[in-house]
Amino acid sequence: MLNKKVIAVIQREYVTRVRTKGFIIGTILFPLIITLIFSGVYLFGKFFQPSTRKYAIIDETGVIFAEFAANLSDTLKTGEPKFIFEELKPNGESRDELIKELQKDINNKKYHGYVLIPADIVENRTAYYAARNVGDFEEQRSFSRAISRQVANLRLAKKGYPAEEIRDEINQGWVNMVSAQVTEKGEVSKNSASNYLMTYLLSYFLMIFIMTYGQSVTRSVIEEKSQRITETIISTIKPGELMLGKLIGISFTGVTQLAVFGGFIFIVAHYGASLLTQAGLPQGEFMSIMENLHLSIPMLLFFLFFFLMGYAIFAILFAGVGAMVNTEEEGQQFLLPNIMLNIVGFFIMISVAKNPDTPAAFWASLFPFFTPVVMFCRIAVSDPVMPSGAYLSVAILAASIFFLFKLVSRIYRVGILMYGKKPSLKEAFKWLRYK
Amino acid sequence: MQILEIKNIYKRFGDVTAVNNLSFNLEAGNVFGFLGPNGAGKTTTIRMIMNIIVPDSGSISVMGNSKISEINNTIGYLPEERGIYRKMKVKEVLLFLAKLKEMKNAEASKAIDYWLDRMSLGEWKKKKVEELSKGMQQKLQFIATIMFDPSLIILDEPFMGLDPINVNIIKDIIMEMKRKGKTIIFSTHSMDSAEKLCDRILLVNKGKEVLSGKLSEVKQRFGTKNIHLNYEGDDAYLRESELVDKFDDFGNFIEIQMKPDADPQELLKQVSSRYRVSKFEIVEPSLNDIFIQVVSGSEMGGE
Repeated sequence: MLNKKVIAVIQREYVTRVRTKGFIIGTILFPLIITLIFSGVYLFGKFFQPSTRKYAIIDETGVIFAEFAANLSDTLKTGEPKFIFEELKPNGESRDELIKELQKDINNKKYHGYVLIPADIVENRTAYYAARNVGDFEEQRSFSRAISRQVANLRLAKKGYPAEEIRDEINQGWVNMVSAQVTEKGEVSKNSASNYLMTYLLSYFLMIFIMTYGQSVTRSVIEEKSQRITETIISTIKPGELMLGKLIGISFTGVTQLAVFGGFIFIVAHYGASLLTQAGLPQGEFMSIMENLHLSIPMLLFFLFFFLMGYAIFAILFAGVGAMVNTEEEGQQFLLPNIMLNIVGFFIMISVAKNPDTPAAFWASLFPFFTPVVMFCRIAVSDPVMPSGAYLSVAILAASIFFLFKLVSRIYRVGILMYGKKPSLKEAFKWLRYK
Repeated sequence: MQILEIKNIYKRFGDVTAVNNLSFNLEAGNVFGFLGPNGAGKTTTIRMIMNIIVPDSGSISVMGNSKISEINNTIGYLPEERGIYRKMKVKEVLLFLAKLKEMKNAEASKAIDYWLDRMSLGEWKKKKVEELSKGMQQKLQFIATIMFDPSLIILDEPFMGLDPINVNIIKDIIMEMKRKGKTIIFSTHSMDSAEKLCDRILLVNKGKEVLSGKLSEVKQRFGTKNIHLNYEGDDAYLRESELVDKFDDFGNFIEIQMKPDADPQELLKQVSSRYRVSKFEIVEPSLNDIFIQVVSGSEMGGE
């Protein structure tokens, strides 16, 4: 079936597509945007770095300030202290008079704000914070934590407990949970959080890729039909061969794009850290995410495999849609059920990711239109163990692709020469029986 | 050599019988006019010859081969529904179509350059197809049909949408192909161009053959010959002549339709012995007349 003519079609589909501005931009843009986002986050972070903030503290208890200031001795990235605290003691004036004075100082930018620790804080457990802007929750939380710590200490001391000792014991009582997955080859340590993140991300990309390239197939068929190219081509090559060549050619485009993305991710994951260090930049959180992703080569190969399988089964449907309609607008109506199939598979994947071994997960992954995304997810979560039904589901998927191809190529054969009225599904079924 | 043998083919689409028991043979080296009004089943028949659709019954054999896929690369086909990838460059698209005919790259490139130059499209080689005018795109399609030197060329309405200059260019090439011994099937509803080019014709209507044979024979068969006559004198004699069937005075000349089996030479003798004749012309019926006569005749049920 893969004769010279089919190869010519594959070549044409691939070359004309890879050369388009859309493809080049889309392929280069993704790594570029990711790079820009992360360097942007870094640069903006540097640009909008907070400066040292000066706070006035009114400590009516007289015993909290010292510990409070000691607890908040963080420094900025520049090495400057994050906060400067100045303790204000009333010089005979009342609390209200003092605060009025402070408000003026804050408006004159002498202070960024003030914190009032009332005398009855141990009983009432309420402190007051006021500043030029109060948007920084993080900062308020750290202030409140520092005060709480002191208040807790005071309350413990009041009852005669040894506060420092208790705190030490509590700190030493924190337990670290090490998770591992039991496999036939023994236990494998695994970070479940990053594992799910990767699975979701990859499954999501898988779905998007399958849909994007599937729709390219519809567009390509409609192009040949609406521009009346089809008859010239199929007077030379069988419609089934044309369809096959088209499907393969467009899949190569997808593989090319995946290779570029995969190569980018691989380089970042493996050399990103040392590249950043060489450039004299801090590695930041991005690198720790990348390292936690466990983007193993087998997983990328599984991704490629399920992309090709998923693309195949959906693209065949999409080719059938293209053959039946005359314009992309007409195609929308038929595309919707296809897209829904893929999206339902994606939602199933979300629940399957947490429980990959339930009977429901097993059966869902056997349904050929769900297999690519759901089975990929199960494999990724269960890695390195193969989940139940993996081989069976792939076999069913392969057989479905084969039969669907046979079926749709019969519709395709008739449809690509039908101009004018869009057929009803009933008519399309009639085409199946044409000689 | 029989290049095409079609035996009793039928094709139905739902309730419509597009081709109804059509049979014909075609010898190599002819220009064959496949004629008929719109919707007569010409395109359907050609699609069956090209194996784009399959007849419900009957057989088609091309060059003694019933599997057309094996000799596909020796057939050039210009479909009526034609178009070309608009986003591709001119030469590129031709190279692709040449590859579909399994031409070698170097050979294809040479042939494409030759034909582009000959069709005065040489400067457009690297332009995108969408930048070309409609006529130019038509010529491009024609090049795609003949560039691989096919021995059977099937042209479905090749002059559709072309200006007279380009019609002439294509006509010349068709005649050149004929001289080289190629067989050309030429489907059209324009009788005028068929009359100029064809050796043999097959006229179909509603999927059925209504007329076929050598063009000259067909004309003879429908030779209710007319005579255009100019002379000085009254017409009393002619109106009563036993040779004349119908008499029409057009002012500038008189048209006479002769009785069947009447000899024009006899009429000329009689007329010239009585009048001073300034014009005596035997006019063959045009293919167009025959077409209208036959098609309207069959439409009225007089098949």
